[in-house]
Amino acid sequence: MTAKTIQVENISKLYRLGTIGTGSFRQDLQQWWNHYILRKKDPFFQLDRCTSINGGQDQIWALRDISFDVMQGESLGIIGSNGSGKSTLLKIISRIVKPTSGTIKGRGTVSSLLEVGTGFNKELTGRENIYISGYILGMSKPEVTAKFDEIVAFSGIEEFIETPVKRYSSGMYVRLAFAVAAHLEPDILIVDEVLAVGDADFQKKCLGKMKEVSQSEGRTILFVSHNMQAINTLCDRAIWLDKGVMKEIGPSSVVINKYIASMQKFQLKQQWPTISEAPGNDHIRFEYVELVPHTEYSDGIIDVRTPLTVKFRFWNLSDDVNIRVSLVLFSYSGDCIFDLLSPATHCQKGIVEGECNITGNFLNDGSYYISLHIARDVSIQLYYFEECLSFDVEDYRGGINYFDKWWGVVRPNFPFLLKQKEVAIQ
Amino acid sequence: MTETKTAWEWEISSKTSYWGASLKEMWTFRHLLIGLVKRNFLLKYQQTVLGPFWILFPPLLTLLTYILVFNKFIGIPTGTLPPALFYFAGIILWSFFSDSFSGTASTFKDNAHLFSKVYFPRIIMPLSVISTQLYNFGIQLFLLLLLVAYFWLFEDLALPVGIGILWLPVAVITTAVLAMAMGLFFSVLTAKYRDFSYVIGLGIRLFMYITPVIYPLSAVPEKVRWVVTLNPLSPLFEVFRLSLLGEGTVSLWQLGYSLVFAALLFTASLLLFNKQGDKLIDVV
Repeated sequence: MTAKTIQVENISKLYRLGTIGTGSFRQDLQQWWNHYILRKKDPFFQLDRCTSINGGQDQIWALRDISFDVMQGESLGIIGSNGSGKSTLLKIISRIVKPTSGTIKGRGTVSSLLEVGTGFNKELTGRENIYISGYILGMSKPEVTAKFDEIVAFSGIEEFIETPVKRYSSGMYVRLAFAVAAHLEPDILIVDEVLAVGDADFQKKCLGKMKEVSQSEGRTILFVSHNMQAINTLCDRAIWLDKGVMKEIGPSSVVINKYIASMQKFQLKQQWPTISEAPGNDHIRFEYVELVPHTEYSDGIIDVRTPLTVKFRFWNLSDDVNIRVSLVLFSYSGDCIFDLLSPATHCQKGIVEGECNITGNFLNDGSYYISLHIARDVSIQLYYFEECLSFDVEDYRGGINYFDKWWGVVRPNFPFLLKQKEVAIQ
Repeated sequence: MTETKTAWEWEISSKTSYWGASLKEMWTFRHLLIGLVKRNFLLKYQQTVLGPFWILFPPLLTLLTYILVFNKFIGIPTGTLPPALFYFAGIILWSFFSDSFSGTASTFKDNAHLFSKVYFPRIIMPLSVISTQLYNFGIQLFLLLLLVAYFWLFEDLALPVGIGILWLPVAVITTAVLAMAMGLFFSVLTAKYRDFSYVIGLGIRLFMYITPVIYPLSAVPEKVRWVVTLNPLSPLFEVFRLSLLGEGTVSLWQLGYSLVFAALLFTASLLLFNKQGDKLIDVV
């Protein structure tokens, strides 16, 4: 049985927004007067998120009543959208900022890595920066000296070690900075989104190093990232923060799935009860459009494996026309992925229905939208229903340890054969 | 298997402590302090041709100006001492004080970025500034000793250095403590209200004129002398000159006043710095 390393109890953090110039001096005095002299309760403590006495938004709860425990040797991932309080939480645990209320108890030394190159100075050489950055991150001189060669080797910039880092390329700078951090040996390591920098190879190397450290040396890691693959690979458990509130805590894969499901901003169905409300014109009126994901194998999430069915139905208001519908799929940036034509169909006045299947294992991860174009007699436009459906496709890689964004517009899994033909005789 | 119920080693809560980092914690960061002093030193002379000689040029140039302006044109008396020695002693102690003070007063402003990214006892930063200045002062003091030796050898200056030299470290250390105390106090204020950073620049310049830097205390008219004697720095400058050059007007009472003043202000500032330090990261 392992012991708790960190115990977080009801942590809240209130930020005061706006100018902290001379204007707040009066407010400070007022607050001080009320609090210490009149012994009144601080009025700001009873406020709810985003409300205040001024009616404006000059107070904001970055964190609200966060409680959790971290076991020794555990890697805990923290996920959430921007502004959800992830970094604030890490800053509080790293003792950089004070919580407004609540306590955190822990044992062991803590090192935090909230940015790459903390304490680096551009004027100093690589060697000098390794030392000073090491000290700032909490290493002692013998520790840095003992690891010096290893750090330099990890960063791969041996020949530039006596050059001021201002002459480094940004890649070299990041590699050196991370190399120092990667050789820290605290009991608890706190890592914020620092892997977003650096090239794919180096990211992989860093994640590998972190994984190795947490597994073999029993070190506790708190890890914030937007890279769900990385969290999934590195962390046993994860916390999902949303607007300062803890939504979910549990095994990473479960939390990540719930988070992604909530993040998928899509319009999977649009329906109009009467013809007068329906979008369209004198020729065409839409009754409904729908995208049906077949998510039986992917926990209710649309990911790269998910087959999709687009269904639509419209009122055709003119007699005797040859109708052809084209389904156009766009990436979120507006590039057309494909334009799919239905067979031309002779239609009378009435209701027309269509369906199109997009197979799974075809689209790459990303955001997409669909437009429907209805034409008669080959090329005369009847109606163009733009962006009628939108959806996100999430990443899924199975057991593949590759953290970078998968390249390409599509990601089909065509049969791919690779086999050893002959074995060289040793 | 039994879970050993060991006590928590650290605790973070909304309360800020007056006591700040423990000495034990400070000790673990001793390498950082030394490293920072080295860094400050390296940074200052990076890409300069003359390098560390820049520690000596500014006081020498100031000395030249003072001799010309205050001694030759205005004719402020310097007692029986050669003007060069008198001014140089004042200049180096004053620049030690003012650089230490202004350097520590901008602790939060200068290190906001670092403080918001990593934790270490915040007091390390002002300590590193004072240490750097102390180092510079040491080099300048050496030059002053060379000057004293020159005047003793070639200009018939009576050898002033005697047992009184033991007071010199007292004067220097008290000056450092006073500079740091004021610096810590203003670092908290400037972090919250930037107005104070302008006040500091102006204040230091004016403060010099009520400190016996360019004049000896004995040359101040009796009527206004109380202004200068109220300044806790004045006895320190007098003691500094007395111990090194053998001339200065100071009583044990006055020195005691400086010591007590420095000790009290330092304690108060340190408590304020510790108490406010953690909160200030949200506002700098």
